[in-house]
Amino acid sequence: MRPLDLTEKDPSRRITIYFEGQPLEAYEGEKLTVALLANGVYWLTTSTEGRKRGAFTFGPVPVVVDGVKNVNGRKTKVKDGMRIERQNYGEFQETVEIDEGKPVKRLVVDVAVIGGGPAGIGAVLEVQEHLTAAIIEEKGWLGGDLWLKGLPQEGFGDPKKAVKELTGKFNGNVRVFKGTIALGVFDKGEYFLVPIVTGKNQLIELMAKRVVLAVGAVDNILLFENNEFPGVFRRDFALEVMNVWGVAPGRKVAVVGSRPEDIVPELERWGIEYVIVPNPKRVEGREKVERLIDMNGHVYDVDAVIVSDGRRPDINPITQAGGKLKFKRGYYMPILDSQHRIRDGIYVAGSAVSIKPHYANYLEGRLVGAYILREFGFDAEPCVYEEKLRDYEPVPMAVHQIPFESFNLEDVQICGCDVSLKKVDDVVRSGITDLQIIKRLTHLAMGFCQGRFCLFNGAVVVSQRTGSDMSRIDLPVARPPLKNVRMKVTAEGVEEYAE
Amino acid sequence: MPSKELPERSEIVIIGGGIVGVTLAHELAKRGEEVTVIEKRFIGSGSTFRCGTGIRQQFNDEANVQVMKRSVELWKRYSEEYGFSFEQTGYLFLLYDDDEVEEFKRNIAIQNRFGVPTRLITPEEAREIVPLLDISEVIAASWNPTDGKADPFYATAAFALNAERFGAKLVEYTEVKDFIIENGEIKGLKTSRGVINTGIVVNATNAWAKLINAMAGIKTHIPIEPYKHQAVITQPIRKGAIKPMVISFKYGHAYLTQTAHGGIVGGVGYELGPTYDLNPTYEFMREVSYYFTKIVPALRELLILRTWAGYYAKTPDSNPAIGRIKELGDYYIAAGFSGHGFMMAPAVAEMVADLITKDRTDLPVDWYDPYRFERGELRGEALQMG
Repeated sequence: MRPLDLTEKDPSRRITIYFEGQPLEAYEGEKLTVALLANGVYWLTTSTEGRKRGAFTFGPVPVVVDGVKNVNGRKTKVKDGMRIERQNYGEFQETVEIDEGKPVKRLVVDVAVIGGGPAGIGAVLEVQEHLTAAIIEEKGWLGGDLWLKGLPQEGFGDPKKAVKELTGKFNGNVRVFKGTIALGVFDKGEYFLVPIVTGKNQLIELMAKRVVLAVGAVDNILLFENNEFPGVFRRDFALEVMNVWGVAPGRKVAVVGSRPEDIVPELERWGIEYVIVPNPKRVEGREKVERLIDMNGHVYDVDAVIVSDGRRPDINPITQAGGKLKFKRGYYMPILDSQHRIRDGIYVAGSAVSIKPHYANYLEGRLVGAYILREFGFDAEPCVYEEKLRDYEPVPMAVHQIPFESFNLEDVQICGCDVSLKKVDDVVRSGITDLQIIKRLTHLAMGFCQGRFCLFNGAVVVSQRTGSDMSRIDLPVARPPLKNVRMKVTAEGVEEYAE
Repeated sequence: MPSKELPERSEIVIIGGGIVGVTLAHELAKRGEEVTVIEKRFIGSGSTFRCGTGIRQQFNDEANVQVMKRSVELWKRYSEEYGFSFEQTGYLFLLYDDDEVEEFKRNIAIQNRFGVPTRLITPEEAREIVPLLDISEVIAASWNPTDGKADPFYATAAFALNAERFGAKLVEYTEVKDFIIENGEIKGLKTSRGVINTGIVVNATNAWAKLINAMAGIKTHIPIEPYKHQAVITQPIRKGAIKPMVISFKYGHAYLTQTAHGGIVGGVGYELGPTYDLNPTYEFMREVSYYFTKIVPALRELLILRTWAGYYAKTPDSNPAIGRIKELGDYYIAAGFSGHGFMMAPAVAEMVADLITKDRTDLPVDWYDPYRFERGELRGEALQMG
């Protein structure tokens, strides 16, 4: 077993990879970042401003794989003999091989469901008897956040069993796209165009009569000094390494953020030693987290820090598709009509709407599926799901007061692209409070994640420094592509109409 | 910049706080004039906010070459004086056939005549300037090292701060609603925040110019329409990878360069409109990827982070309308820049300030005569990028 393995891996899949020249044990099918973690390697890449970065919180993870620079470490699976090296952000492959292009495919469906979590699964199950559907999931598995859980969940029981059971019911009308990103939703009048890109860089143009945004929520980024240092884990990444890959985030971990209850039972299940630190100030270490220091100066010797601070709807797909937002219960959420639509033809379900248990998100998926069925003239009973959903009051999220005076603001990262809290705060304190201008001047929300993980905290800074209510802050809308795409993928097959 | 109270009166009011309105306010205030800019959102928020950074003197007619020669002198002076970045990293036009080369030889001759040092260079020389270029189909290139780029938002902010230092008032989040006109003379403007009394008004609203002209009751036919043009930015790469603005007419009228932050930014000729819609389209993302990767193959492996759209305020000959509208006393227009207004702004500010304060200018402002459309005297189409 490797230093951080929680489970025995299949010996027949054992391979050797090399990191910075050192041979390491890995297993076929493992993600590069996870294989390195299992061996105790956290620091994988270095930001433009020379900050060491790992793979389990915000910011991109470009690495050199077999001599090729700028490979996304998070999306690469290990192979026997693979040679991996660190690189700095901004290094790229100057000579490229022009590989065989992949002709663009087109697929016509009644309903395109973006997001393969409980809500997306629910929507598909509801419509599949009468309508064709495509379900698009960025991760390599269906089930979304539910799939990451190891403990029984209300309404579902064992999470993995529940997901397998539900997706096992998908019929021939359903096309499943795992490891696939959606670039956006484009209104073509007669239909919605949803271009998607599979893990093999195949561009597929989905033409759908209806779209369901079951795009989920994203974990909050907690602000403290060196909050993006190798060894800092977002809750979802910590759950993934433990429950999907059987690898521990560390031998002894600190849990920070307002919702430790979302991770602690899972740590206990694996017998991982933990300490809850309610007021983190700073993490330190040479190449990875070695200690956490709290606001009272207490020092905790740990080798990982897990941030469990709740989730907020991923609003990017909502605003790109033309939806408007409101601020309620501590987060921005889509403004929906009485049938869960942001506009004609585009529905939203799940934690993209509000934060609630997995089973409620599943019911909400069934609900929008039922609305869609009715639109197509089939019998459906959305009111049954509406009724059941009433049992679940959405969860409010705490909006933190940022303790500006206690932090060395330069060390607190608000965005994964070298944007410190100081940079943003300086601009706000100079009197600029429009997030559009703040974006421009600081590069907040202009990087790889398009503000998914930083715009909210940007709004918090403005709100706190100016005293204006969060509901009155205007968030910039997301632009396509919703997820980063390599230019070669969208370049394919344009000749026919570009000239 | 905090928004100011609307003054009761101002000698001159400029409608529009983009680069053109702000540089004009700066120029007028520097000359001691009392001037107020009224901007409906924030300073630099319109097309200036969405613009692609380029500043070039490589045009195909005498007027534009002279104006841009002057403009670059001003860009140089003010960037040094006010401490914003203007890098003279050049403009490189890639040429692929004999007809293109002939056309550019003629352009270069005009440019050289006015002291713009453009040269025709070999493909190999072009690749020395931008090592990432694919020159397999390139037969020559037009190269002027004194062209350059600046960040439109920082530049506008710098001019705005200094305009205020000279006494100009910049009023944000205030929208002009109507003109107050008595006996054919401007008396003031009604705005969303009250009335401002003034006798001289400049329409510097570019994409919205026709709306302001209509408000002023202008009968003269000045066709300026908003078209949607789009831009893309990639992940940041090491600094200095693509220094100049690279242009390829063959590949989709593409322009691309690297921003100070490191991303590759640019666009293509793909145009939609007339429209005020600014939603980026899938078709643009596809076209720009195709053309860019033809010009610089290394872009194939770079990630697209974002696309966005802005307006080109277009006229039928791609030249702006700059001048005094005689039918309404002291009403001036400086609008319709057709995709190259950012680079022209400092020189346009000088021309319009000359017209207002001296009723004449040494720069060839007649080329941009607002009455040329009505007279049917369109200019040779100005070289438009993207």
